[in-house]
Parts: sequence; C-alpha cells; structure tokens
Amino acid sequence: MAEDTPPQDRPDGARGSALDVLVSFLKIGGSAFGGSTQAMVFREVVDRRQWMNEQQFLVGQAIAQVLPGANPVNLALYMGLKVAGGLGAAAAVFGMVIPAFCIIMAMGFAYTELSSLPVTSFVLHGVAAAGVGATVSQGLRTTRKLPKSASTIIVGLGVFITIGLLRWPMIPVVIVAVPLSIVWAYLDQRRAA
Amino acid sequence: MDNKLLGLFIVFAPLSLLSFGGGQAIVADIQYQTVTVHGYLSNAQFADLFAVSRAAPGPSTLIAALIGYQVAGFWGAIVACLGIYVPSSLLVYGIASWWQKHKTSPVKIAVERGLAPVAVGLIFAGALAVVRAALANEPNNIIVALELVTLAICCSIFYFSKIGSYTVVFATGGIFFLIHWLAF
Repeated sequence: MAEDTPPQDRPDGARGSALDVLVSFLKIGGSAFGGSTQAMVFREVVDRRQWMNEQQFLVGQAIAQVLPGANPVNLALYMGLKVAGGLGAAAAVFGMVIPAFCIIMAMGFAYTELSSLPVTSFVLHGVAAAGVGATVSQGLRTTRKLPKSASTIIVGLGVFITIGLLRWPMIPVVIVAVPLSIVWAYLDQRRAA
Repeated sequence: MDNKLLGLFIVFAPLSLLSFGGGQAIVADIQYQTVTVHGYLSNAQFADLFAVSRAAPGPSTLIAALIGYQVAGFWGAIVACLGIYVPSSLLVYGIASWWQKHKTSPVKIAVERGLAPVAVGLIFAGALAVVRAALANEPNNIIVALELVTLAICCSIFYFSKIGSYTVVFATGGIFFLIHWLAF
C-alpha cells in the first residue's frame, strides 16, 4: 500500500508507508497538548523519520495555517499526502483525530470530577510548558535553516512583532505579509541569477 | 436521517470552511449557533464544554465532538466531527495535492521561500501567546518560575536530542504530578 506515490516528487527525504504515517500520527494525536502540535509533527516528520527537510515542512505548515480548518488536521493531511499519497493523508488525519477524540470524550465524562482537583490544572500547566519548549525549539531549528537575507529577517521579525508582541489579529497580517514576502523572495532570486 | 444529526452537520459544515487559523476563529459562531439559534445547550453547558476542549490534546475544534455528544449521543459526536473536518480537509487535500504535483519553477521556489519566514514568525508568536495565557492567571511566582524552567529544559532537550515529544510530554506531566504530591 506504500507504493502509490510517485518518487520523483521528493528528491530529498525518504518516503514512508501509510502504516508508518498512521503510527506516527497516532502518537502525536494522543500527546499533543497545549498548542504544540506543529512542533511535535516537526519532530516526528523531520527529526526522527526524516521524511522531509525543514524547508519542505515550513511550506506545509504555512499552507496548513493559511487555509481554513484546524491547523493540526490540515498539517497532518499535508504531511501524510507528501509522504504516502492519498492513503497517507487519510491515515495521518485519522491518527491525529482519533486519540484526541477518545481523550476529549473521556475528559467530557470525567470533567466534573477532575476539574475540582488542583492537581489537574497543575499537571496541565507543566504539560503546556513542555509543549511551548517544543515550539520554541522548532522555531530555533528552522530559523537556523532559513537563508540569511534581509527579506527573511524583516518578514519573520515583522510577523512575530505584530502578532506576537502587539497582538494584532493573525489573518490581516498574514494577508499582507505573504504576498509581500513572496514578491520579495522572487526579486531576490532574479537579482541573484 | 435523524433531524438532530442533520442539524448538527448543517451547523458545523459551513463553519469548517470559515475556521481560518483554527478553532479560535469560530468559537463565537459555534456558541451562537448551538446556544442562541438551535438551543442545543445552555450558556453554562457551553462554557464547561469549552473548558474541556481547551484542556484536552488535539485541535480545539474537537469541541464539536463534545457538543455533538450532548445533542445526539455517540453518533452526534461522529456527525459533528465529520461536519467540522470534512469540508476543510477536502479543500486542503485539493490544494496540497495540486501544489505537491506541480513542477519546480522560479515562481514556486519564490512562494516556498516567501512562506518560510512568515511561518517562522507565526511559530514564535504562537509560543508567546501560549506562555502569556498560561502565566496570566498565575499569582504564585514560584509556579511561574517552575514553568519557565520547565520550558527552558524541555526546549533544550528537544533542540539537542532526538527523544520523542510524547516521551517528554508524559514525563513532564508525571514529574509535575510528583511535585504536586510532594509539595502541596
């Protein structure tokens, strides 16, 4: 079932089977607490499985964020598709959603009991801190791989400052930053050529 | 088809295509549709389900599963999930497969290079947003310090080692459980 993807699409980075994709995303889906899903997918797909490089991952991440839909689901779909075709996309989405679905249903039943215990929020805070650690680490690793050009630095910092520090809404910032950054990259390339 | 199941699908499917940036964008609409328009839930029930969805792993749009369960049991949860994930997934599938099949060209390279710094800016902005939300309601400075130290240690582990993220997350949860047990 792994042989359904054309190998010429991925010159760097090994291909995996839909089963490998399912196993990876089941693990991520069951442990990605506190808004750290992207970093965990990065760790699995780039660091551990080496299915693609940082640059290829960032493209998928950007597409997953810009389009409507839950980011973790979109990201899983993009990565599964790239690694193992249509079956891989289905496996990745299934793996991302099913453990989280089971856990949230169980938590729904247990919520009234657990939410009154102080230990619950304490443990969740720790888990969230670990998740942010994963996110910061992913940011540092990918930053290191970016081309050291003025456009990269200004766009990256600009997005961080406006959305992160000034808390502007994401959508309008992205609508302005994406075309600007693409045109800038295109002009850089032509100048270099 | 059961009226309630159909109703759930009709509530969530259009919101799927409006959920830019994930769940935060449509939480207000989900609340309006399920509480005010359809009367599936009370405001207090909605607030409880929202809290559960924030504490659980996975996408925050899984609140749809909780609402579906409240409204129509197990199949309600399944139908609500299909409604919230299928339309956006079909769109992403179409665009991603077109993109991945496209031959490399100067324009495609420029798009990839241009998207990269935006994605990196969003990664750090997202990390900052989670830190700010976690520390906003924390009066105890020792706990704040503990969380920042945890963040730094986990970041170093992820940066310098290949230990899986699930191992680190569950170990951190266990350690926090022990600290709470010993110290409080």
